[in-house]
Amino acid sequence: LFFPYPQMASATDSRYGQKESSDQNFDYMFKILIIGNSSVGKTSFLFRYADDSFTPAFVSTVGIDFKVKTIYRNDKRIKLQIWDTAGQERYRTITTAYYRGAMGFILMYDITNEESFNAVQDWSTQIKTYSWDNAQVLLVGNKCDMEDERVVSSERGRQLADHLGFEFFEASAKDNINVKQTFERLVDVICEKMSESLDTADPAVTGAKQGPQLTDQQAPPHQDCAC
Amino acid sequence: MAQEVNLDSLKELEREAILQVLYRDQAVQSIEEERIRKLQTQLQHLRWKGAKSAGREYTGKSCARCQSVLGLLLHRGAVCQGCSHRVCSKCRVFLRGTHVWKCTVCFEDRNVKIKTGQWFFEERAKKFPNEGKHETVGAKLLQSYQKPSKISVVPPTPPPFSKSQCGSSPGRLQELGQFKGFNKSVENLFLSVATHIKKLSKSQNDMTSEKHLLATGPRQHAGRTERRSQSDTAVNVTTRKVPTLDVLKPLNQQDSKSATLPVLKQGNHAANLMPRRSFSGGSRHGSLISINSTCTEMGNFDNANVTGEIEFAIGYCFKTHSLEICIKACKNLAYGEEKKKKEFFCKTYVKTYLLPDRSSQGKRKTVVQRNTVDPHFQETLKYQVDPAQLVTRWLQVSVWHLGTLTRRVFLGEVIIPLATWDFEDSATQSFHWYPLRAKAEKHEDGVPQNNGELAVRAKLVLPAGPRNSQQAPEGTDEPPPNGQLCLVVLGAKNLPVRSDGTLNSFVKGCLTLPDQQRLRLKSPVVKKQACPQWKHSFVFSGVTASQLRQASLELSVWDHAVFGVNDRLLGAARLGPKGDALGAADSCAQSKLHWQKVLSSPNLWTDMTLTLH
Repeated sequence: LFFPYPQMASATDSRYGQKESSDQNFDYMFKILIIGNSSVGKTSFLFRYADDSFTPAFVSTVGIDFKVKTIYRNDKRIKLQIWDTAGQERYRTITTAYYRGAMGFILMYDITNEESFNAVQDWSTQIKTYSWDNAQVLLVGNKCDMEDERVVSSERGRQLADHLGFEFFEASAKDNINVKQTFERLVDVICEKMSESLDTADPAVTGAKQGPQLTDQQAPPHQDCAC
Repeated sequence: MAQEVNLDSLKELEREAILQVLYRDQAVQSIEEERIRKLQTQLQHLRWKGAKSAGREYTGKSCARCQSVLGLLLHRGAVCQGCSHRVCSKCRVFLRGTHVWKCTVCFEDRNVKIKTGQWFFEERAKKFPNEGKHETVGAKLLQSYQKPSKISVVPPTPPPFSKSQCGSSPGRLQELGQFKGFNKSVENLFLSVATHIKKLSKSQNDMTSEKHLLATGPRQHAGRTERRSQSDTAVNVTTRKVPTLDVLKPLNQQDSKSATLPVLKQGNHAANLMPRRSFSGGSRHGSLISINSTCTEMGNFDNANVTGEIEFAIGYCFKTHSLEICIKACKNLAYGEEKKKKEFFCKTYVKTYLLPDRSSQGKRKTVVQRNTVDPHFQETLKYQVDPAQLVTRWLQVSVWHLGTLTRRVFLGEVIIPLATWDFEDSATQSFHWYPLRAKAEKHEDGVPQNNGELAVRAKLVLPAGPRNSQQAPEGTDEPPPNGQLCLVVLGAKNLPVRSDGTLNSFVKGCLTLPDQQRLRLKSPVVKKQACPQWKHSFVFSGVTASQLRQASLELSVWDHAVFGVNDRLLGAARLGPKGDALGAADSCAQSKLHWQKVLSSPNLWTDMTLTLH
């Protein structure tokens, strides 16, 4: 289903070695931004998803980076441009500049790092400030494979997500848990938002929230998210 | 903390790393923009294909999309909630799982919004109204930093987040909002260049094909009034090399711009159909006047029963000498297709001339509006005219149906004498509905049918001395061997001048003998004169009086074009035993008299003023 991506030896190499899918063979393009404190695993999360690779070595992202992945979802080929941002404060002006182009966000914290969880509220404020009003956000507690070092319980994560109005996942880039599901869910909620925004402007289908399927009558029903 | 987005605060290696990313992003963006452009083009084509577009009235008896006829009881169709057009059952797309449907165009419109991401930009604009559509944050950065290279790992620093940046946000947002995407601007540049070239080449088609028509003129008025040989078209294939200089003149820019689409079509049609037209050419007017414009001016059109009205406004700027005719709309037009009275077949355009100039330079056309008998044009047609010229002109606004291949159908016209038009009164400058009228018969519409007067002096020189040709019966007369017809073309006035009030004019003389032998002569060009004085002698030698009695002399006045091929015929007059068949009865009789006088008084100059048609 997905494009075969070469296994990369290291994150640094793959950063320059990846091929962008340069064809136009897709139906639409979503831009997604991954944000969160430094070292919560944003880059690893993206590499797992885009390249199905993982390296335990920590490489701090310089400013911004992105990867492109085309997925097949709800009978549509969707090209994702996923922006990976530096968590570090010093790059903040650059990273926040990219908020405005993003349709959806993955806000990530590290379940073994209390501080990263405490910063979620602030990151959320950042989104509200710099992004469009209907920005779709998924809260992701990463490193759920490190159960022994957990300091943020699933319950706290879920409560905070509910409080902020985000959907919530715990995931592990290392063990490839919920990575794909996170992205696919985000794509789905963006699609829903898309239909909503088109249909509220359009009296013909007001109230008929059909999700992404609305766009194509031939498409078979695919209501469930894969998580 | 930097107040604006730049990379100055970063180390060089960091900067280069980011620039690498920006370059990759730039590549992704340009692919995306290309894709979006294709999608939008496709939608546009679908709109054009579909008959009725939003915001236009129509009677609702046919499906707005496929044009199939809708019945009164069965197959009544239903109104699309999106565009409020009535469509048949085949042109509906049901949104899955519901009974909600849209017409094919509305559905596709929605699809394109999804596929292009337009929905997102529209949503975002609610919060950031100043946001560019396709913002590329990195674009500006890329412009200032140009040397990417390898970088190494940067040690991590503590990640705390502080709210302090929020304070700097409004200014920064503003700043970012004004970014013009770098790729975007380069692409736009390319696009505009490309479209410009397209426009030019389209206009070129138009010009060449019109000249092609024009250039068929000379052969026609060389004696054969009703028919032109088919080979005329072949002869004039060379006129396709016509330079597009006229198109580039500012005077015509507005026209060539606004009329790109229909012009191309008409041009092609006209070119294709020339051989066919040439057999019927001039049958209506039988007039040289027809030659100086396209086929429609030659009477090669069908007449519909003229109905309806046209709405337009006329304005004249005395500072810029610019006459603007703003064509707004027509209503209740006759159907161009007599047998197919459906709006689907309607292809309407409006054409204007500043009579008496019927040349292609003086023509302005709107784009073709389709699928309605109530077309909206909203186009401004412009002329550069001197005030002195303006008062001598009649504004002719005619409505045409662009028929299939062969035909134009005349849908009506309005003629306004500008001499009495008050351009300073605001009331006359506002929009008015004018009832369309059928083509006025000659002399009825007040438009002068003559194209000026040509002053000529003629003399028959017979070496055998004066003879009374009236006394010599034609059959028995021995032809003197070296007769000469001498002619002095003095000057002309009241010619249909260019809108700048001048002409580069010259005269062609063509003597057609009874055996169809033609003798042609041409005067030099007199430049930049509205009333040229050539004082040029034509001498047709080796003719006899008896030959001349059955011969005809045609004099035509031309406006010289730079490269010669697209000379414009201003008017012509004929002298001969049959008189001037081109003009009205009185001028016919007059030219007959002139001719007789010349022939009957050899070696004496006869002065005459010929009316040009």
